[in-house]
Amino acid sequence: MPDAGDELVRPDGQLTRRDVLRRGTAGAFAITMFGGLAERAFPFYGPLRYQHKQLSGELKIMQWTHFVPDYDKWLDGTYVKQWGEKNDVEVKVDHINLALLPSAAASEVASGGGHDLFQFLFPPSALEKQVIPLNDIVQEVTKKLGKMTDVAQKSSYNPKTKKYYGFADNYVPDPIHYRKSMWFNAGVFPSSWDAIRRAAPALKNAGHPVGLGMTGELDSNMLLMSLLYCYGASLQDEESRVAINSKATVEALKVMRDIYRRGMTDEVFAWTAASNNDAFLAGRLSLALNAISIRRTAEDRGLALADDTWIAPIPRGPVRRLGNEHVMGIYFIWKFAKNKAAAKRFLVDQQLGYRQHFLQSKFYNFPAWTNSVKGGFKTIRRVTNQDRHKPLGQYNILASIAEKNTTNVGYPGYANAAIGEIWSTYLVPQMFAQVAQDKMTPQEAAKAADRQFKQIFKKWRDQGLMP
Amino acid sequence: MASLRAGLRSLPTYLVVAPFAIVLAFPFYWMLMTMFKEDSDLYDVTHVPYVFNPIQWRFWESATTKHVSFIFEETNYPTWLLNTAIVGGLVVLITLVISAPAGYALARLSGRWGQGVGIAIFLVYLVPPTLLFLPLSRLVTELHLKDTLWSLILVYPSFTIPFSTWLLMGFFKTIPQELEDAALIDGCSRLKALRKIVFPVSLPGLLTVVIFTFTLCVNEFIYAFTFVSSSEVRTVSAGVPNDLIRGDVFFWQSLMAATLIPAIPLALLYNAFLDRFIKGFTGGAFR
Amino acid sequence: MVLVVGVPFFWAIYLSFTDAVGGSLSGNWVGFDNFTNAWQDENFRRAVRNTLIFTLASQAIVLVGAAVLSNLLVRDFRGKWFVRFLVILPWAAPVALSTIGWLWIFDSLFSVVNWTLKELHLVGAVCWMFGVEGCGAVNPPQWLGRSNMALVAVIIVNAWRILPFAVVIFIAGLASIPTEVDDAAKIDGATGVKKLWYVTLPLQLPIALVAVLFGIVFTAGEFAVVYILTQGGPFNSTQVLPTWAFQVGINSGSLGQGAAISLYLLPLLAVVTVFMLFFARRAQVS
Repeated sequence: MPDAGDELVRPDGQLTRRDVLRRGTAGAFAITMFGGLAERAFPFYGPLRYQHKQLSGELKIMQWTHFVPDYDKWLDGTYVKQWGEKNDVEVKVDHINLALLPSAAASEVASGGGHDLFQFLFPPSALEKQVIPLNDIVQEVTKKLGKMTDVAQKSSYNPKTKKYYGFADNYVPDPIHYRKSMWFNAGVFPSSWDAIRRAAPALKNAGHPVGLGMTGELDSNMLLMSLLYCYGASLQDEESRVAINSKATVEALKVMRDIYRRGMTDEVFAWTAASNNDAFLAGRLSLALNAISIRRTAEDRGLALADDTWIAPIPRGPVRRLGNEHVMGIYFIWKFAKNKAAAKRFLVDQQLGYRQHFLQSKFYNFPAWTNSVKGGFKTIRRVTNQDRHKPLGQYNILASIAEKNTTNVGYPGYANAAIGEIWSTYLVPQMFAQVAQDKMTPQEAAKAADRQFKQIFKKWRDQGLMP
Repeated sequence: MASLRAGLRSLPTYLVVAPFAIVLAFPFYWMLMTMFKEDSDLYDVTHVPYVFNPIQWRFWESATTKHVSFIFEETNYPTWLLNTAIVGGLVVLITLVISAPAGYALARLSGRWGQGVGIAIFLVYLVPPTLLFLPLSRLVTELHLKDTLWSLILVYPSFTIPFSTWLLMGFFKTIPQELEDAALIDGCSRLKALRKIVFPVSLPGLLTVVIFTFTLCVNEFIYAFTFVSSSEVRTVSAGVPNDLIRGDVFFWQSLMAATLIPAIPLALLYNAFLDRFIKGFTGGAFR
Repeated sequence: MVLVVGVPFFWAIYLSFTDAVGGSLSGNWVGFDNFTNAWQDENFRRAVRNTLIFTLASQAIVLVGAAVLSNLLVRDFRGKWFVRFLVILPWAAPVALSTIGWLWIFDSLFSVVNWTLKELHLVGAVCWMFGVEGCGAVNPPQWLGRSNMALVAVIIVNAWRILPFAVVIFIAGLASIPTEVDDAAKIDGATGVKKLWYVTLPLQLPIALVAVLFGIVFTAGEFAVVYILTQGGPFNSTQVLPTWAFQVGINSGSLGQGAAISLYLLPLLAVVTVFMLFFARRAQVS
């Protein structure tokens, strides 16, 4: 039975004190919550339309979370803002984890909407049908800066359709990091794969094994493919025919198995992309193949071993000294992008003045058009020489690595869609791991890979994307 | 003396429960230690992982809070937490509003009809989100909800409602029809019968639904990741792996902190709920 | 709601009959090719096997654990609030984040599990259990690097995560046992373990079935745990249907095939459901 106090409104229509209290509290609560939330209202209605009313266009970019946090801060906070003001475009950059780029891309294709500019860290050849060709801006930049590097060319051009499906922006050379003192004690310098194989047991006994991963992750992928090139093997030939089943492949598989048996531990089968970093920085590994993120982290943390850590080109094999880029920064523009003009403008302008990007990324990002840094490799060498971290002058070798020892995934052919799939599904590290763990002989593994690759090549050939 | 005897009587309980509790909570203790460790302490294989080094008992000298402040200062972590709370709260509301009546209706509907609908509801879970996210992406874009929290608020009920309905169906089934009929005979309206009889008894079920729905929302990853790309709009599940794993550098200590911070209040909240309805029915029943 | 659920569901079915690639939403009709091709792939068959093992093993652990824990946690003992809090923690943490935590716990070099095993001199025993040679204090077991250990690791993490879920449901089930039954049991002289076995557990059955059923559904469809811990590796040995579908459909770009693979979960779970419902009907009658 409701009692008199429950009545909200007195018979004469006036509010009771109780009611005022109740409504007032509710009101105050609402205002606090939603007033405060109004600022954060944009999560509900989407990103707020920009405050600067004079910027008329909008450009949305998606790229990876750079390992150098300062680079992203500079890019998002300074570079794109300045570019935006100059070109009357509001630029918004979103970052995602590099491992999740393919799913984000798939979702944008499925939804027919998303970002205008999308960056991949490996050639997005499989997406060719969903993007617009960028031959025009490639020509424009080539006219101003000369030809792009071979790595970039082979990673963004499809010779079958004669289209540039992507705009190569940057690539990252992949040196080896090694602890000079440990190798000195082992009496040898890691200049060739054979030297590493010979020194591996001694290093392992000293508690400092080499760290050559054989897991389904980025570092292992690049490392093992590079190993194949050094031994004269490759996944395909110039004509995009599968070429994995060769004596050279068997040779490379044997070498890796040997290094594992005598000089490495089981950890190399359980690595993430960060594991070799962590193990090296903990003082355990004597050698790792990785982009300069290891050295830079050592410097940031002020570790003593930074003075003892040198970088060098990929070890030489019996046939050549050649490695892959660690990652390849390629942008593409969706067919359904809303602001294609601004996107193209952005790409061209970014590449034309790449010096700042090179510096802000701490020498990680090398420009696809070398002359984008005025003076090309000579200037790059001069800049790296100015790095004050000990040992002095060590980053100079990066320029040589970039110039002479870096090639694209899919060497000697193009980085086509089939190679892209083999890369994304880590078939090469799998092959090596199975041989190292004695689950297959090298010959069997090469044959099995051959069969697998042929299926994949056929699938993409049927799509019309490959010669 | 009495408390000692009570303690001893509980001994078998302790003996069984302890190992479970240890195994379940051990990773969190681990996270608690890790998040305060200096890099030099964490990345040293010779150090004892369970405590701080090198000065173990004077841990305040070996520990640091910089990794924790990193996530609050350098990332959008607080925003992510807020977004997660908003999404969770609203989805719980929607779920309750839909699944409670639905569960009640289905519980009272006897025979094939109820069973059939039950099974249809169940089929929803059989296609995994790793595939559904593509067409749902399309749907979300068509509705112009891409990159907003509403996209999640709209889609999450699709997997919280079926489960909640099933659960409540089970609860409502245990309330004998006779009780309600008795109330009706006594002159109560159906609505009043619901309020006075059914609701109090099903409170445990409703609270359970709240807990599970909220958890499902907080845990969800694929949709949260693909529907929303702006950092300020992300939930904690998608924002943390994105910003704290940069290329090949894992910010382990910050990752641990980021996991622990929502886990503890949520566990406290759930525990409070759990406590409430255990008290509700134990009242002397278990000794 | 029907739109949100129905449309994607039927689209997924449509996709599985096409050869769609690269995230596009359509392709050429290929009939049942995708389904038959899947069976010929060794990786797929292994994924099916793994899904079954993974689901059954983790659910078995969860069922036993939850049955035991739920009955104990409703009792009155000192510190019960804290213990309950600890038990709930794994469920409260977002799965993506807690699994990353487990990545560090199983790390190839810094694993705290291996450190503990080393201190307790149990490394040899563990290695022997898993049949890994060359394993020892210097070459610690790689929880995420060896096929059988990786599968165990994934099962452990999943069981760890789902256990609190099951415990809460079981406790909720206990709540619904009418007090008259309880009093009747007492009058009949049933206490302690006898009561548990003959009275409480059978009455918990209906709710327990809900817990197990959904536990199975959530586990069989589990993506995050396997993907984050092993990505299905080493060499696809821990792939389960959802991760394999993702690998094929998204990473390899064969969307039609990916759709077909994930639809294979349907018959699997349908069989389980029917079985459980039949069981439930029998239990309810009594």
